[in-house]
Amino acid sequence: MKRLLAPFAVLLLLAFLVSSARAGNDFDYCLLCHGSNANGNYGIRAPKLSGIEPWYLARQLENFAAGVRGAPADDAAGHEMAPVALRLKQQGSLDAAVKFIGSLDPGRPHATVQGDATTGKKLYAACAACHGARGEGNAALQSPALVARSDWYLVTQLTNYKTGLRGADERDTYGAQMRAIAATLVDDQAIANVVAYINTLQGLAPRN
Amino acid sequence: MKISRRDFLNWAGAVGGSTAVYRAAMGMGLLPIAARAARPLLTASGKSKKVLILGAGISGLTSAYELSKHGYEVQVLEASFRAGGRNMTVRHGSRIDETGYPQVCNFDDDPDLYFNCGPARIPGHHVNLLGYCKELDVELEPFINDNRNAWVQDDAMFGGKPIRAREYLSDTRGFVAELMAKSINKDALTGPMTADDWDRLREYLRYFGELDPQFKYIGTSRSGLATHDYTAPEVLKAPLSPSELLKSKFMLIMSFGETDDQAAMMMEPVGGMDRVVAGFMRKVGHLVQLESQVQRIKVLPRGVEVTYRRDGEYVTTRADYVLNCIPMHLLAGIEHNFPAEYAAGFTAIPRGKLFKIGFQMKERFWEREGIYGGISWTLQDIQQIWYPAHGIHRKKGVVLGAYTFSPEAGEKFARLPPAERFKLAIAQGAKIHPDYASHVESGVSIAWHQMNHMLGCAAQWEEPLFKQWFKTLQSPAGSHYLIGDQVSYHPGWQEGAIASAHHAMADIDARERAGGTQVVHS
Repeated sequence: MKRLLAPFAVLLLLAFLVSSARAGNDFDYCLLCHGSNANGNYGIRAPKLSGIEPWYLARQLENFAAGVRGAPADDAAGHEMAPVALRLKQQGSLDAAVKFIGSLDPGRPHATVQGDATTGKKLYAACAACHGARGEGNAALQSPALVARSDWYLVTQLTNYKTGLRGADERDTYGAQMRAIAATLVDDQAIANVVAYINTLQGLAPRN
Repeated sequence: MKISRRDFLNWAGAVGGSTAVYRAAMGMGLLPIAARAARPLLTASGKSKKVLILGAGISGLTSAYELSKHGYEVQVLEASFRAGGRNMTVRHGSRIDETGYPQVCNFDDDPDLYFNCGPARIPGHHVNLLGYCKELDVELEPFINDNRNAWVQDDAMFGGKPIRAREYLSDTRGFVAELMAKSINKDALTGPMTADDWDRLREYLRYFGELDPQFKYIGTSRSGLATHDYTAPEVLKAPLSPSELLKSKFMLIMSFGETDDQAAMMMEPVGGMDRVVAGFMRKVGHLVQLESQVQRIKVLPRGVEVTYRRDGEYVTTRADYVLNCIPMHLLAGIEHNFPAEYAAGFTAIPRGKLFKIGFQMKERFWEREGIYGGISWTLQDIQQIWYPAHGIHRKKGVVLGAYTFSPEAGEKFARLPPAERFKLAIAQGAKIHPDYASHVESGVSIAWHQMNHMLGCAAQWEEPLFKQWFKTLQSPAGSHYLIGDQVSYHPGWQEGAIASAHHAMADIDARERAGGTQVVHS
């Protein structure tokens, strides 16, 4: 079997060389999945990236590349992102990708999650300490803003933290904190409620 | 039990859906035979009208070809580095643009060593596609789906040992025929079933299962002879154990090669399915602009404005009409001003996650097993192995080493790096061909839901989605038309893509004849 797989390894290497030879608009691939201006595409469950803090984007790309995120067998969406991040890292273009996303024009996403924001407000108290009372985030704590995100994606991630699809890797210290917090959200309804409340927050600056 | 004509039609409907009822009714002289779908007669002149086509898949290329013939100014924007959409054939040196796992096809440089990653077969009633093949000089040859010499393998029966397809099909039929012949009671039949009918039904069962004069199934040459020594008397194989055969869920796919779109005779273009694309491109290639990814679509009071990215720059252009075959699940992420009830459909139809592997084999070992073309089926993840019907008796050949239908199996392969995908497919293929691994020289894998500029296979339409969304998505939003197999009742087939393009063009033609301003059925 080893003898057989050797040609495949050569083939993969070739593939890297061919694709990296193509200069120019490689980052347009980001927009293919994540939509115009990387404002997200629910159609393929690709979250909004534009407007996310560069340090947070960089950390998540590093996590995907290192297998800290996207490794569990059941995380189909994470599996799609992980090899992309790995290639960016191997090509040394991870920072450039983050910069490209930062150059885009972020739009305010539509609310899609139905929940009880009043109940969600009480639950949000556990989030506010790190992510801010207005969901504005806190760079000092490495906590990203929560406003103006794909709200369905917040639901997915809270669920992933709860089930261990995210944050279970021992290298993921921030993820471990999030797992503990997500565990306090007792069910899907609680998650929907807290995200419905996040949808009412404005962050720090008015958004378009 | 009284069997009326209406009863029969209801049964046919229960088994085969309304299409079966319709066909059966046609057979019984109840309905007229419908006219064959014809290419729309575009009568309005497209002079001074511009049509922008988004996507150079089969529907986009069909539209470009027809509209440019009728005087329309046509431009095709294609996001990928190549035209064709899911009509994609890889051969020596082809680039496989998969998100995360780009590959290069490492097959030998040889006209017979190619792999059809998307569509791979054409039935005789796909008259529109066949018409274009004829018109565009795309040479066709037979494609084999159904090969009784191919294998059926399921871990659930015979301890996982493969049996020939002919054994499964003939021995189960013999068993069922014997059982039924023995259990139908002449006295219980009343009404239109006469004693003569009962005799005729028993005769039918005899030939259906090849039963002996006592209506007993003792084996048949249909399941293959024990030996093919033609200097000695024929020896039938002993029938396989029915209880063992019935343990397999192969029954769910055993009739695959009998269905409307899969039954013999099937065809394929000589040299690869992308010869169809090449045929269109010979006519309209100069109108196709590659590596141009649409970012915004704005429907105007008259016409449509489209913004795309090329070489990292945004370019905006306008047209009187837009025909758009961008997959709906990607369109959902593109900025637009479509009516909310129209755009809501983009995310309502799940995307397909079909997956394929092609292996270049250094020897055509299957031919030594009496297999020339056709499909072996397995209940493992890889589901099927296809043997090429072209290049027979040459040294090497490309087999299809996996073709999964279920999203779960597709995801299982897609999340592995290509080398691991091959390893899994080889291990499973070895249950059918023990020396499988030793023949594999190189491989390609196509995870359609991770292929760039597609990110999905055919739209997974079914009821009630058709009822809820189809008409809305088929109707234009202003001068914007969705096309592609995704807006047809035949998703996953090029014929469906062409039908959608013809439908949209007929609508544009009607609008132009009516003065170019009227919005028809929208």
